[in-house]
Amino acid sequence: MTLHGVSQETNDRRPTVLLVDDDEVNLLMTAAALKDRGFDITSVPGGEEALSKLASWTPDVVVLDAIMPGLDGFETCIALRNMPGFDNVPVLMLTGLDDEASINRAYQVGATDFFVKATQWSLLAGRLRYLLRASRTRQELERSKAKLARAQDLARMGSFDWWMGDGRSFVNGLELSEEGLRVFGYGPDDRVNLRDMLRMIAPTDREPLVRLARQILYQVSVIATDVPMTLPDGRFRIIHVEAEPEFDEHGHCCAYTGIVQDVTDRRIAEDRIRHLANYDALTNLPNRRQLIWRAERALEFGRRLGHQVALLLIDLDRFKIINDTLGHAAGDELLMEVAFRLRGCVRHCEQLFEGVIETAGARSHRTLEAVGRLGGDEFVALLPEVTDEADAQRVATRILEALREPVVVAGQDCFATASVGIALFPRDGNTVADLLRNSDVAMYAVKSQGRNDALVYTPRLASRGREKLQLESALHKAIERDELVLYYQPKVDVLSGRMVGVEALMRWRRGDLLIQPADFIPVAEETNLIVPMSEWAIRQAARQARIWADAFGFADSIAVNLPNRMFERTDLVEQITTAVREEGIPHGMIQLEITETGLMKDLARVMPSLHRVKDIGVQIAVDDFGTGYSSLAYLTHLPITELKIDRSFVRELGVVPQSMAVVTAIIALAKSLDLKVVAEGVENQRQMDLLYGEGCTLMQGFLFSKPLPPEEIQPWLEQVVLPKKAAWIPSVSKVLSGADAEVDVGRRS
Amino acid sequence: MVEEPAIQDVMGDFNNTGSERTAGGPVLDAAAMAELRALDPDGKAQLVKRVLATYQGSLARLTEQLAQARAAGAWEQVSRVAHTLKSSSASVGALGLAGVCADIERLLRAGDSVSVQPLLDRFGSETGRVDQAVRQALEQLEAAGT
Repeated sequence: MTLHGVSQETNDRRPTVLLVDDDEVNLLMTAAALKDRGFDITSVPGGEEALSKLASWTPDVVVLDAIMPGLDGFETCIALRNMPGFDNVPVLMLTGLDDEASINRAYQVGATDFFVKATQWSLLAGRLRYLLRASRTRQELERSKAKLARAQDLARMGSFDWWMGDGRSFVNGLELSEEGLRVFGYGPDDRVNLRDMLRMIAPTDREPLVRLARQILYQVSVIATDVPMTLPDGRFRIIHVEAEPEFDEHGHCCAYTGIVQDVTDRRIAEDRIRHLANYDALTNLPNRRQLIWRAERALEFGRRLGHQVALLLIDLDRFKIINDTLGHAAGDELLMEVAFRLRGCVRHCEQLFEGVIETAGARSHRTLEAVGRLGGDEFVALLPEVTDEADAQRVATRILEALREPVVVAGQDCFATASVGIALFPRDGNTVADLLRNSDVAMYAVKSQGRNDALVYTPRLASRGREKLQLESALHKAIERDELVLYYQPKVDVLSGRMVGVEALMRWRRGDLLIQPADFIPVAEETNLIVPMSEWAIRQAARQARIWADAFGFADSIAVNLPNRMFERTDLVEQITTAVREEGIPHGMIQLEITETGLMKDLARVMPSLHRVKDIGVQIAVDDFGTGYSSLAYLTHLPITELKIDRSFVRELGVVPQSMAVVTAIIALAKSLDLKVVAEGVENQRQMDLLYGEGCTLMQGFLFSKPLPPEEIQPWLEQVVLPKKAAWIPSVSKVLSGADAEVDVGRRS
Repeated sequence: MVEEPAIQDVMGDFNNTGSERTAGGPVLDAAAMAELRALDPDGKAQLVKRVLATYQGSLARLTEQLAQARAAGAWEQVSRVAHTLKSSSASVGALGLAGVCADIERLLRAGDSVSVQPLLDRFGSETGRVDQAVRQALEQLEAAGT
């Protein structure tokens, strides 16, 4: 390859010629002829003059007359070749036509070519141009060789030839270029054979490599492999070998020619890049990409070998709260600890990259087993072979168990429980995407069932999911379309025979259907729609209080059920205040109910709100009391005014003896804490009498009234309560007192 | 034409061929002279004049050298002088002299110092003719004002 720049330069400039001839006539004519043909001529009449000229100047070409007195052409040529920098300057020797001896000698002394002396100047000029061209090509070759050597050095690369010797053996025929020797830390004069090379390879790597080499030679294929080596100076390096076969005239492979390259740094960088691409930086677990890759391989094996694969989606239950309250650093700390524990729950295989697995034997899919982090607080455990569902469940149980112990982050115990969804290949999906989606469905089912558990996917879960989705979008619209309504159930004091307040209960008028809270409140809770719904309920209750106050002098309170998360909102007080101000009613006409479970779930977070609410004169009742696990110590400090005995105890009164004990205890507790106590779900006279006997006079239930639409409250009061027409009203039923009560009740029923 | 003429041509029919070839004179080959002129077509470098003058000088010097060497029996020296004169004579078209020189060189290189004697005599007369022809040519050039 000629370089354009170089040939351009020499084309632009007249080539310089040193002409040496003792014959002055010839010298004159040759000079004239060559000048005429584009050469720049310097003539000297003898060898000595030529050499002194060359001491300070290098022409492009030297033309020497062979036979001259004094230093003749041959001697001049020898001397010239010994001068530094003249190894490659082309020298043309002029000889006689029949002078074969001179011709031979010319080559021996290092002349580039000979030319028979004559006056055919065009031929001479043509020969000179040819020599110049050849010389330029040679220079370029030298230059490119030097560049190649430099490039190879920079790339820690060198070339080698490996040829077949006696007995068609490749053992002895190895030759490395200078750069190639340097790759292994050898000097240019060192001799290295194949055995020396093999000795640099660890015995465990040597045998597979020799086997590979045999195979390559047998198949006459291209060599391209990385070889880990310990060089003679003790450095560990990875040497890349790449070579192609060469063939003799019979088409037999007779040699390999190629390069060796130290690729250690590149390999380290590649490994690092691969690690970054495949592993999560925080936990060092496989990331989503790597997990999906592993899962895909696992499915391939499962398909081929006919076994099941399990995918466990693990989602932490309270990570967001920990992150929000303790900060991201604590969150990260928690994730690292969780990652560490999860890793212990499976046969986690650390390093695994493309290509490795295929060669690792029949049970190699086992090496795919791992825990990875999908992102956020979501982890996945991949079990590449399970015999059945129970197998996967065992691992899930192990995981839940591992997370049961608290994690200490930011100096404080945190409970990082998880919800685990399990999906099995091929039953629950044929692709990784399907399995991920279905394990997600199962995981969400766990969440909605109260978290900290594991569930195996079933199609039923998915369809429930779909229904939920439809319900969710309908519920969104329900708020916009004003489809929500409040029903009111009176609370009565059986002692005085009066209504003492109402509890507002939400209904959803969906088309012709009236949907009960149990069917939509859980979805509302999950989707956070419960917040706008609760706000609406407060406003609506205030509006109703105003209406009733105007209509019949209603002066009691309307109790609104709020989920505990409403108490976590800092604007709850403002919400209530705005609602009552708009209607011009006192704060006391709004009462709030929170379930015992909701209250105790995160007492610390709702406590400030409870105080503020109580401070503005809004009473708080604890709903469903007795079903949760109240801390009695807290109960004494809570700013509450009322306990509502759960309907389940009331229902069993007189049926299950223990219920009476519970009810009695709750009533005693309320009394001693100076709290009002209300019995819910009172359906018959017997229940009423028993409660009354224990000193509980405030009640609510079907015995008195079912929940009524707002417009029916006034008629109920006017037609039932005021005329004292109901059985529960004292004047009708006889006055109940003391020990007679039970006797009376018994007689009546 | 560039090839050195065989001795027979030179010895046998030199004048004839010479007079036939050239209009200017029998000794210097016209074609060779034309070639020489062609090297300096517009005569700016006065190449023909310089070549002829140089040739004249070296002819005189070499003739003298050859005579001395012959007298001393230094045949190698004689051969080298003949070699030098051979190529420059051919260059200016003195083909007859060139042929004589070629034969002298060849015989002496073969070690034959006997057969060379008549050729050496012939060399003497031939140089005289060439010298005269060169002088004439130079005079003509002078007269032509170049």
